[in-house]
Amino acid sequence: MIAGGTSSGPVIQARNIRRVFRSSRKGEGLKGALKLLARPEYQEHVALKGVSFELEPGSFNGLIGANGAGKTTLLKILSGLIPPTSGEARVLGFEPFKRPVEFRRRISLVMGQKAQLWWDLPAIDAFDLLRAIYEIPLKDYRERLQLLSELLEVGRHLNTQIRRLSLGERMKMELIGAILHWPSVIFLDEPTIGLDVLAAQKLREFLRVFNEREKATIILTSHNMDDIERLCSRVLILRDGELIFDGAPNGLTQAGHSRLRVRLRETPSAEELSHVTAVPVTAIQVDEAEEGETKAIHFTVKQDRIVAILQALMQRFHIIDMGIEEQSLESVIHRLYVEGELRS
Amino acid sequence: MKLEWRLAALKNGFQDATAYRIEFVLEFLGAALVPAAIQWVLWYALFTIGGATEIAGMTHAELIHYTLVSILFTQIRGGDLDFELGEMIRSGQLSNYLLRPVGVVEFIFLRGLAPKLFIAGFCLALGLLLSFFTELSPFRLVASMGLALLGNIIYYQLSASLAAAAFVWEEAYSLLMVKNMVVNLLSGELIPLNLFPASLSWVWQSAPFYLFVFGPTQYALGRWSHEQFLTQLGIACLWLVVGSGLVRLTWGLGIRRYLSLGG
Repeated sequence: MIAGGTSSGPVIQARNIRRVFRSSRKGEGLKGALKLLARPEYQEHVALKGVSFELEPGSFNGLIGANGAGKTTLLKILSGLIPPTSGEARVLGFEPFKRPVEFRRRISLVMGQKAQLWWDLPAIDAFDLLRAIYEIPLKDYRERLQLLSELLEVGRHLNTQIRRLSLGERMKMELIGAILHWPSVIFLDEPTIGLDVLAAQKLREFLRVFNEREKATIILTSHNMDDIERLCSRVLILRDGELIFDGAPNGLTQAGHSRLRVRLRETPSAEELSHVTAVPVTAIQVDEAEEGETKAIHFTVKQDRIVAILQALMQRFHIIDMGIEEQSLESVIHRLYVEGELRS
Repeated sequence: MKLEWRLAALKNGFQDATAYRIEFVLEFLGAALVPAAIQWVLWYALFTIGGATEIAGMTHAELIHYTLVSILFTQIRGGDLDFELGEMIRSGQLSNYLLRPVGVVEFIFLRGLAPKLFIAGFCLALGLLLSFFTELSPFRLVASMGLALLGNIIYYQLSASLAAAAFVWEEAYSLLMVKNMVVNLLSGELIPLNLFPASLSWVWQSAPFYLFVFGPTQYALGRWSHEQFLTQLGIACLWLVVGSGLVRLTWGLGIRRYLSLGG
């Protein structure tokens, strides 16, 4: 266990974290509404099913998964907003849900879909309040504000009401507000959501520089694989509340599989192809053919099996065209999800 | 006790409340004049149309005085901070504040208090100006305003405790609306509380709401002695302790059920 406030060893620890949400269930129509009034029924949803991992200080980590996979719930537990139903979380040596002041001084949570600054005030007024809340010395505050507003190119908007800013500018202000106190741990929940390519790129670059310069530990959730590939040295993938991958993103693509693409004169089914090549159906994807073209068939397999698969195909079919495609992180995650769905 | 963030929260709250000038002025005037207009109509009906000469020992002129002086204090209590808290709990917006290294209930209070302090200063200045032309005592006016400000804190404590119901029920709007109606009646904002039947005076005396408007008005008008005022000040302090305990209890229990929805 880490001593409160020290940073030797893992900075974030999650041990068998489970979180269950209970909510009332409303039936359909008027009957459902009346039943809810008289005798409400409750349902339980297990958002996290025993998630465990440890993160090192200064690391940049990606947390990915489909909607409802449990990413935001995990961030809320780690930042101390909600407690786990069972299991243990420790961040910077603190138990997050106890929310000691020292813990709150050293973390930050940015939610792309939730504004933290005050809409009717210019950002500079909100930053001034945050300076007082976090007791940032005036000299440091001025230096940081100048640095951050230059990095994010929002200096000229500091005196504009937040609600009058564009989404991208607002998000940049949110980010400045979240890190003015130089937190040791930053939780970023989809910070690039809704941003255009340029704004997202700027934000990404800023996060990279900040992580390198200040050695802050960052957990980033995003549906944008560009964010993850370019920034994160480690990726955690959640599916239905379970951690299904924990490792380097290049490990996910390299140590995983390659995609062999072939076009055949014949049009065999996926089952037949599976029978011939001994590749599971789940690893075979038959694309819809364009007009006048034959169907492209993708085999997601380990590299050392490619030759054997081609030999098996040639014995049975006529290969018109073939190639090996680089796997993107996105396609790997897609495959992990599809495999999971088929299994369940 | 850290003063810097508290002063900054007050400053920020004032900036936020006055971001839209017309809105700020209209809210102030509307909330001050509507209860006064209701009282004026009521006294007119009773004395001019009904022909009454005295009600509960008070003449028409005394009731008009009550109405005018109570305006100075009706603006101090209240605000919709409890509704804001309830909505923040329901929508998950509370998360923004929970992560800051300051107490969330106190932080919201200070932001909401800022415009009230400004209004208190304005009303006090107005009262002191009036004291030059009337028999109002400047000393009593200042002390009454102090009591009204204590009332503002008690009101917020009780309201914040009720808003914590949103942790359990998700929606506390109706509860807070009912509370508002009770406070309107029992604070003396709509009618002087000595119009209550004597047998029912225990109703308003057993709640702290009379300390918000009725108490300060009575003292400012010289209808309470200094001893009575000091006793009521002591009672207000006791309510402050009770309110503080209630906030700790309700929020301590409620926060465990917080879902932090959204995001």
